[in-house]
Amino acid sequence: MTTLVALNSKKHHLLKIDTGEVESQGGHLHMVPVVLTEFAKLSLQYPIVVTKNQDNGRFTCVTLFGLEKGENLFFNGNEWNSIYLPLQIRRQPFFLGKSEEDDKRVICIDMSHASIINENSMLKENGKKLFNADGSETQYLADLKNILAELSEGENTTQLFIQELLSMNLLQPMQLQIALENEQSFRVDGLYTINEQALTKVTSENLISLHHKNFLHPIYIMLTSIGHIYGLIDKKNKRNRNV
Amino acid sequence: MSTPVKSIVIVGGGTAGWITAGRIAAKYKANPANISVTLIESLTINIIGVGEGTWPTMRNTLIKMGISETDFMRACDATFKQGAKFAKWVDGTPNDFYYHPLMLPQGFSKVDLPPHWQAKFSHQSFSDAVCFQEQLCEKGLAPKLITTPEYASIANYAYHLDAVKFAEFLKNHCTKNLGVRHLLADVTGVISKENGDISALSTATLGNISGDLFVDCTGMSSLLLGKHLQVPFVDKSDVLFIDTALAVQLPYADDESPIASHTISTAQEAGWIWDIGLIRRRGIGYVYSSRHTTHEQAEIALRKYAGSAVDNLATRKIPISAGHRKLFWKNNCVAVGLSAGFLEPLEASAIVLVELSAEMIAEQLPACREVMDITAKRFNETFLYRWDRIIDFLKLHYILSKRSDNKFWVDNRNPQTIPESLQELMQVWRYRSPKNCDFTSNNEVFPAASYQYVLYGMGFKMDSAYLDHSRAPTDEALAMEQINLNSNAIKNALAKLPTNRELINKIHKYGFAKI
Repeated sequence: MTTLVALNSKKHHLLKIDTGEVESQGGHLHMVPVVLTEFAKLSLQYPIVVTKNQDNGRFTCVTLFGLEKGENLFFNGNEWNSIYLPLQIRRQPFFLGKSEEDDKRVICIDMSHASIINENSMLKENGKKLFNADGSETQYLADLKNILAELSEGENTTQLFIQELLSMNLLQPMQLQIALENEQSFRVDGLYTINEQALTKVTSENLISLHHKNFLHPIYIMLTSIGHIYGLIDKKNKRNRNV
Repeated sequence: MSTPVKSIVIVGGGTAGWITAGRIAAKYKANPANISVTLIESLTINIIGVGEGTWPTMRNTLIKMGISETDFMRACDATFKQGAKFAKWVDGTPNDFYYHPLMLPQGFSKVDLPPHWQAKFSHQSFSDAVCFQEQLCEKGLAPKLITTPEYASIANYAYHLDAVKFAEFLKNHCTKNLGVRHLLADVTGVISKENGDISALSTATLGNISGDLFVDCTGMSSLLLGKHLQVPFVDKSDVLFIDTALAVQLPYADDESPIASHTISTAQEAGWIWDIGLIRRRGIGYVYSSRHTTHEQAEIALRKYAGSAVDNLATRKIPISAGHRKLFWKNNCVAVGLSAGFLEPLEASAIVLVELSAEMIAEQLPACREVMDITAKRFNETFLYRWDRIIDFLKLHYILSKRSDNKFWVDNRNPQTIPESLQELMQVWRYRSPKNCDFTSNNEVFPAASYQYVLYGMGFKMDSAYLDHSRAPTDEALAMEQINLNSNAIKNALAKLPTNRELINKIHKYGFAKI
């Protein structure tokens, strides 16, 4: 059960976050939602694709860590073997919520998250503090606020990006039939990517619109990043060999 | 000199009129030949608006007209239909039911399942043993997910819809997006040419409206084909006895009441009751034979079925007659919908016949008058064949019943009321299952699988002495594999599909994506 509360400098001034645990929690995911501003960094290692939210069918950009549910080929059980960790993982256990009184955005914390170290914990020495002794914010919290702000703004831009792709018919379902070296073969469903053929036929008018909205760059990053699916297969083969 | 066919005039603004207008207009929208489609809707006659069940063909019809599934479902209160449940048709006991789902039996093209089913698996109902859809219906589940693209499916599906809203929705689409000219006027007369063709229709308010091809969608009045061109009606009430419908609309208890994912057809003393779940209400109606019961008794039966929720609601009585016109296309006039004929809605054949007619007219629209009689001849052959096959298939539902609570059921089993074509098939099927080779025309309406579902659902058995005749021992493992595949398909589908109501709510909130 998640327990969500608004962050409060008085109530939470002794609270610490185990950042190692934050990363470990993300190590069990095979995909996370991502935003446009991280595309360049993500594309160094991960495929960036589009998938649908299971609850409402809406499209969202995600990056893949594995090929099936629960599989993370970048996390070895202890640590990540990666250059960049997506904002969606690093923001844990915080997120932006709305205040009940004035509808303003407030930072909320998931008190049931495994990374929370409460004041009685034996692990008190480790972990990052949120507030200094004088009640002011630590650098850690300030960084987190930036992550949350980037995510919140990024989600809007990323939605606009997807709407633009849809309206220009630039998205297509991916046909992923994967054959591993142990002869296991399976299909990965529900992923979408840029339709390269349609992209070559985009009208000049649409092309200019994409350019003005700074959407061309992420389109090409997505296309190139697809190659990392071979990287995932390679990692999966290696992992299977070691089992 | 030839006379081009450029102006299509459709009379009638119901489902038939607008589907025909939409299919023709969509087909010729970008065509440089300048084909125009005009639909004349009466100011005084309301549409009948009771046809609420479609076939899966409707998905293709909507796609061809360029309609978004989300828009359609929202505007027409549409819900998913995954087949029909026939309750109390065999002996009338409480557990007497079977399904006619919308999917072929598992491995239908690989192995002849019925003899294996009868020999080894008949403790389970046929449709449940070979098709995963029955379980979805029994549990009120939807045929797809909110993440499934529009018109795509996990389990094959059709729709239930509000026919009045559907006509309104199609009217908007046809006039706004497909360039159909919509006129409001009452047709008061017909102006003929020497060869008997219709030259124009006269109206009181808009003068004469001329055209090259006239489509009669005037409902049961059959204004052009029946009244004007005097094409006689071929009465089929000697085969299908039902001649009256008594309908009522039943609101749900609340907004979250479950919506059945299939049409429920419950046999009664002298006919049967349809039950179709839309979003806000159920449409219920008793179709009966007035030769076998009285209107008062029918009213009592309908109210008993519907319960106290309809105590203060009025029922609507609609006289119907089973049969069709002797021809559907004569001169330059073709009838689509109730003007062509009517059959009891046991297998939702009304709207599908409209779709098939509209498709054939759109696809084979004669370029000029000189070839129209050839098209007309083909159209008539095609649809006479289709009507006969539908009549056979509907009759099949009655002849295997064991009910004898009313002469209605006994009379239905009288061989004199059973078409010879059906009697022949029944003889063949005593020794083997219905197969595609029994239905070899390009114009089949019901596939062999549908006959299997009804036959074995009604408890029909092949002669066991001959069972091995069609039960190749080498196929036994293959048959077993299909039954197992089906039981896995049931488990997978039950684990992931939402309820019909849940998905409908999500469609209204979020909609389907195109991909």
